[in-house]
Amino acid sequence: MIELKGIKKTFHRQEVLKGVDIKVEKGQVVTILGPSGSGKTTLLRCVNFLEQPDEGTVQVGDITIQAQEAKKKEIISLRKQSAMVFQHYNLFAHKTVIENVMEGLIVAQKVKKAEARKRSEQVLAKVGLSDKLNQYPSQLSGGQQQRVGIARALALNPQVILFDEPTSALDPELVGEVLAVIKSIAKEGITMVIVTHEMSFAREVSDHVLFMDGGVIVEEGTPEDVFQKPKQERTKRFLRRLSGETEDSLLQQPQPQLQTEKSPNILPEGVAGHVV
Amino acid sequence: MTIDIPFIWTALKEIIKALPVTMMLTIIPLIAGFAIGLMVALIRVYKVRILNPIANGYVSFLRGTPIIMHIMLIYFGLPLFIDAAAEMFGLRGQSQLIPISIFVLFALSLSAGAYLSEAIRSGISSISKGQTEAAYSVGMNTFQMMTRIVLPQALAQSIPNLTNIFIGFLHTSSIAFIVSQKELTGAANIVASTNLKFLEAFIAAGLIYWLLTILAESISSFIEKKATAYVKGGVR
Repeated sequence: MIELKGIKKTFHRQEVLKGVDIKVEKGQVVTILGPSGSGKTTLLRCVNFLEQPDEGTVQVGDITIQAQEAKKKEIISLRKQSAMVFQHYNLFAHKTVIENVMEGLIVAQKVKKAEARKRSEQVLAKVGLSDKLNQYPSQLSGGQQQRVGIARALALNPQVILFDEPTSALDPELVGEVLAVIKSIAKEGITMVIVTHEMSFAREVSDHVLFMDGGVIVEEGTPEDVFQKPKQERTKRFLRRLSGETEDSLLQQPQPQLQTEKSPNILPEGVAGHVV
Repeated sequence: MTIDIPFIWTALKEIIKALPVTMMLTIIPLIAGFAIGLMVALIRVYKVRILNPIANGYVSFLRGTPIIMHIMLIYFGLPLFIDAAAEMFGLRGQSQLIPISIFVLFALSLSAGAYLSEAIRSGISSISKGQTEAAYSVGMNTFQMMTRIVLPQALAQSIPNLTNIFIGFLHTSSIAFIVSQKELTGAANIVASTNLKFLEAFIAAGLIYWLLTILAESISSFIEKKATAYVKGGVR
């Protein structure tokens, strides 16, 4: 499904990715964890060439590209294999909710308008936004905007959806609704690669976990392997520090932390029906 | 010295006959300038090889010199080129056949292009890079991204700047009268000197410019409200 081989990327003489290989099977949910600056977002952005790797091969679906000799046309057909959900939602500000979802279908995939509208309404119902079709992004909360972002990605019916820290820019009370939506689409068997800082979410949702640091993959395996019996000292240190932070915040504010884990109970109206 | 108030009205009726010339000298350069400006703005945003330094030089020179200078340079300079070119092809004295207004329009278009390119460029750079990336991520090419996502918002954001430039060029068109174009100011000058009532004639011309400006401003703010309605959501 997805295979990246020997991906290298340097920004201003700083090597961010030092030859990374990853493989994602169809239907798998893969999360990439790691401290800030470890290169995980850059790696994700190499999958759809928002960042062009300096070296390596990227294969998504039927399209394979050599980084050094990538042509514009190839890059566009590679991008059509995937869809991305961004940290800052990146909705088209001048378009309404439904137009945001339809845009890629109509312009890039040349789907007929009526058909695009029908599909968009369906996915927007799935993320619980049927009542917001004609609102502009500026009229929505962060959580709602991110759900539009997810709908926009889903509507394209891509081989894989790439999530770039989808909840990092959200207010804590809005994180739950977005994670719930992501979990519900994970259950549908859509291939996903997720960069996240939400550990409990990663543990629950992923089939495979990658831990990155310093531009390489330090450790990978099932969530149980990586979270419960990490082999590498670097992974242990990272998880220890995180759990330390979690304990601190648990002492101060027990409720919000637990919410993410029990998210099915706190689903916003409209989402709940579709999860079950 | 007295002021002949009723004559202001008489002069106004006479001067306003030159309104079409003023409008032509304003609108044609702005349309041509918009095409130039859009191209120059895109060249500079994308730092297109070879063309980028040329575009930079163009904007820097034309914004760095008075518009009256452009008219003078084109009016006195361009005929030399045309005649030299005409001679090469065995024709003679071709530049005299070209109406003066063409030179003026040409010069004003070049100036407008430089000013408009900056307004458009700032509009483009006001659109978040994230939206560009989102457009690419759904599979758009650069042209689709520009025409569907960036430019509609960039132009809506630049309406106030574009209006300022329109008003500036409306007023600037008055300098065409120094190369004997009979637009509003030129007409006022004629009315003034034939009747020896300078103050009245120029008050009348001033009133026309002022009214046109007010009109332009209100049309612009109406369009701006419509075009940027999407940002006024309120809820965050």
